[in-house]
Amino acid sequence: MKDRIYSDHVVNGQHYDVLIIGGGMSGALIANELRNKGKKILVLEAGLVEGLSETSYQAYLSRFYTQEAKVPNSPYPNNCFAPQPNVMDIEKILPNKPDTKGYFVQKGPLPFSSTNTRSLGGTTLHWLGVCLRMLPNDFKMESCYQRGVDWPIDYWDLKPFYEQAELEIGVSADTADLKYPGAGPDFFGDYDFPMHKIPPNYLDTYLAKQLEGMRYIDDEEEIDVDVVSIPQGRNSNPNVNYIDPRTGKPYVPRGSVSDPYTGQRCEGNSNCIPICPVQAKYNALKTLQSALQSKNVEVQAQCVVSKFEFDENANVLAVRYKHYVKAGDRSGITEGRITADTYVLAASAIENAKIMLASKAQDSSGSLACNLMDHPYLLTWSLLPDHIGPFRGPFTSSGIPSFRDGRFRNKKSAFRTDIGNWGWNFPTGAPYSDVANMVDQRNLFGKDLRNKLHDTVQRQMRFGFLIEQLPSKTNCITIDPSYLDDLGNFRPIIQYDLGNYEKAGFALAKEFSDQVYQRLGAEQYTTYSPSDPGFVKYGQEGFTFHGSGHIVGTHKMGNTKFDGVVTPSQQCFEHPNLYLVGCGSMPTIGTSNPTLTMAALALKTSTELSNKLR
Amino acid sequence: MKKQHITSLESLYQHLQWAVEVEHFTIPPYLCALFSIPEQSSNKDSAKIIKSVVMEEMLHMTLAANLMNAVGCTPIISQPGFLPDYPQNLPHSDDHFIVSLGPFSEAAVETFLKIEKPEKKGSSGNAEHYRTIGELYNAIEEGLEYLCKLLGPDQVFRGDVSRQVTSQDYYGGGGKIVVVECLDSARKAIMEVKEQGEGFVEGDSIWDDDAQWGQPDEPAHYYRFMEIAKGQHYQEGDTPESGPSGKKFHVDWDDVYKMKINPKVSDYPVGSEIRTLMESFNFKYTKLLDFLQKAFSGNQDKWIAAVGIMYELKYDAVALMQIPTGDGDTVVGPSFEFSYAYFRSNRTDEL
Repeated sequence: MKDRIYSDHVVNGQHYDVLIIGGGMSGALIANELRNKGKKILVLEAGLVEGLSETSYQAYLSRFYTQEAKVPNSPYPNNCFAPQPNVMDIEKILPNKPDTKGYFVQKGPLPFSSTNTRSLGGTTLHWLGVCLRMLPNDFKMESCYQRGVDWPIDYWDLKPFYEQAELEIGVSADTADLKYPGAGPDFFGDYDFPMHKIPPNYLDTYLAKQLEGMRYIDDEEEIDVDVVSIPQGRNSNPNVNYIDPRTGKPYVPRGSVSDPYTGQRCEGNSNCIPICPVQAKYNALKTLQSALQSKNVEVQAQCVVSKFEFDENANVLAVRYKHYVKAGDRSGITEGRITADTYVLAASAIENAKIMLASKAQDSSGSLACNLMDHPYLLTWSLLPDHIGPFRGPFTSSGIPSFRDGRFRNKKSAFRTDIGNWGWNFPTGAPYSDVANMVDQRNLFGKDLRNKLHDTVQRQMRFGFLIEQLPSKTNCITIDPSYLDDLGNFRPIIQYDLGNYEKAGFALAKEFSDQVYQRLGAEQYTTYSPSDPGFVKYGQEGFTFHGSGHIVGTHKMGNTKFDGVVTPSQQCFEHPNLYLVGCGSMPTIGTSNPTLTMAALALKTSTELSNKLR
Repeated sequence: MKKQHITSLESLYQHLQWAVEVEHFTIPPYLCALFSIPEQSSNKDSAKIIKSVVMEEMLHMTLAANLMNAVGCTPIISQPGFLPDYPQNLPHSDDHFIVSLGPFSEAAVETFLKIEKPEKKGSSGNAEHYRTIGELYNAIEEGLEYLCKLLGPDQVFRGDVSRQVTSQDYYGGGGKIVVVECLDSARKAIMEVKEQGEGFVEGDSIWDDDAQWGQPDEPAHYYRFMEIAKGQHYQEGDTPESGPSGKKFHVDWDDVYKMKINPKVSDYPVGSEIRTLMESFNFKYTKLLDFLQKAFSGNQDKWIAAVGIMYELKYDAVALMQIPTGDGDTVVGPSFEFSYAYFRSNRTDEL
């Protein structure tokens, strides 16, 4: 396996059957699905080959342990030749002055605060692991609610690929527990997951009890409130009734890539983001490792694609890239060119769009590099009257899906509610910030400090609301030769804003949150300040949102080349031997974390490619 | 002509209980050696080897418990007499060596090699004392076969299948759990213990038969410890005679927490900080045994809690190893003694 992973530049001038650009989840899935087709496949990765060996994964962990701010990309070193965004770079954007502090050039008016990882395994290295399917109505927003657009496919087209994705990722959930608005009994049918749900934590069971029978009521809506467990891409007890179709045997959880006996179950290390120390949480390295079992699959790292060359029929003729020996070492840079029969562009939605722009790709739909979406993430936090034992287990294991669909979607965003399990860690940096405050501001020490800290931290609770963002042509990526990275590639320039639809969603979420805290007898501490980078005003109210890390929608799929960049199989309408895969293909974002849908789409593409390559 | 050691169900139950005791007996000494290797140590390869062995000993203990449950009796774990009083001979052995609790050291690895020594061809020990663990399992297997013929398999395998520990609950090391329901599955369980354990019969092969147990190729325990003794891994083609010829690795006998050999709570005055911490470790270890007892008695929901305690024990043991004993040389370590305090605080109807 090691023999087919290259850091040195060895692929220049070669021809492959399939060239996959990007060693993240979509690229890994497609390489893996095609590995036994007798076709030569190359995965071209911009970042370094790290993570597959025990030593290099350990290096990520050591880096994480020593970082002061444990932000999503903190374990994964920035590489000036394949730079990546970092939430630490997010600032308030001033009018007419693009923010250039980080990798993205942010034109605003609001900051785009979501980040991806440019290293082998991609953003699944730091993802949370939430594996929610989109709801049937998410695929037809326009026909149901006269908002956004309809997909050219529906839930039922994607259902078999969702099941396949849940197997490859290894999703833990019990369908009997799952209850979503607008999802009928056939949503899962008689299907169940490969592993049982992650055991609910104490807060989940506490809230389920306290909120039992609750109905949210305002002037326009009446909604039943349910606490429901969240399907997770992390290992739990296998479901003995689930027979793995690949082996015909009961499902066996897949642990760490360097030590299969580690990570066979989630250990509750409580730092899923930014890194699971035991790899009980899925990452794309697992799928890559499986793909690399085949001699047909090779990985070439440290190669950053700059653009495609097209022939007279608009097919891709070759890909141009630069290889570097060491990040920052200009003397080690060489240019390269590879040809292939089929090209798969599987970088992040932003990088995909950028490479297409740099290649001057054709686009009759006018939607290439547009419709950038995220789930603006609203936090609320409070102190409960009871101790609820936060900071044990995954970041979130239950949520409230009650607002994921409903009539209100014609006026305001649907949203999903995360029940945060790590106290005020996200909003305030607890528990570390609590220690600092109590020592510095309140002069506590010794036993008093311990008691106060225990009492406060034990009662911390927070909600996170993932607000559905509608596609908009003006939320877009552009390029400009005056903004280049150290390798001479374009830096993405981002224009990003929220509309009244999303802001009305914030207001609904906040109102719901207030009603819940009132019912719980909680003391609310939520504050939003105009100085926050993500502060928005809506009428008299103000809200601060964060990024969810869900980078979606820059090359939407459509029915024809006039309403989309790619087909439902993610084939580029105007450049037929090119596939653009990933979250960029999603026409709308719904309220589910997009990774599972992205994986299902990649598997759909693999099926089509498999048939074509036969 | 081989001697038949087990000729009654009572004797079978007794032997299976011994098997559980023998498997458990190896765990505290292996854990002490493992925990004494600092996380960021040059002895990482050795730590990995010891960890892989101790995980499989836990599997073997569970397989022995499955065998017991299959024949309709319950392993007895959470009782004062179950815990060895180190230094001690391997229980039901021929007493030719003594096992101590102590740090990773040359002497410890030598003892581990003795524990895992391959059985001699054709040897079967005597009815009370077995020269190797393999001999004990041979006696059990022959006893099962004998009794199945004598009484019929239904009279032997009369346990409640719902008490079997399955792969639902058991995970985290080499090998696979075997649900024991009949003579065939019993043989499979015994074979797995023997192959992973002491490597079958002396002189045969260094490898356990891995594809069968769903794990990558690994040498049997004896040969894994031999790798540490030689500072070199085995590779394909190596034999017991050739010794290891694979990748060499560094073994630094000084890069350890030098835990005091065979510590006892009674070494320290009542109420002293060290004694309190040692007692707290023993309290948790006894609790773990209690939970395992319940898990082996049909309360499978105790598994998750038991796993949680295993993690706590690791942190507590390593914390003990940060405290100097005061003799200017050694640090404190876990003593793995029975905690009467735990049972006083948890008198339950099971007792």
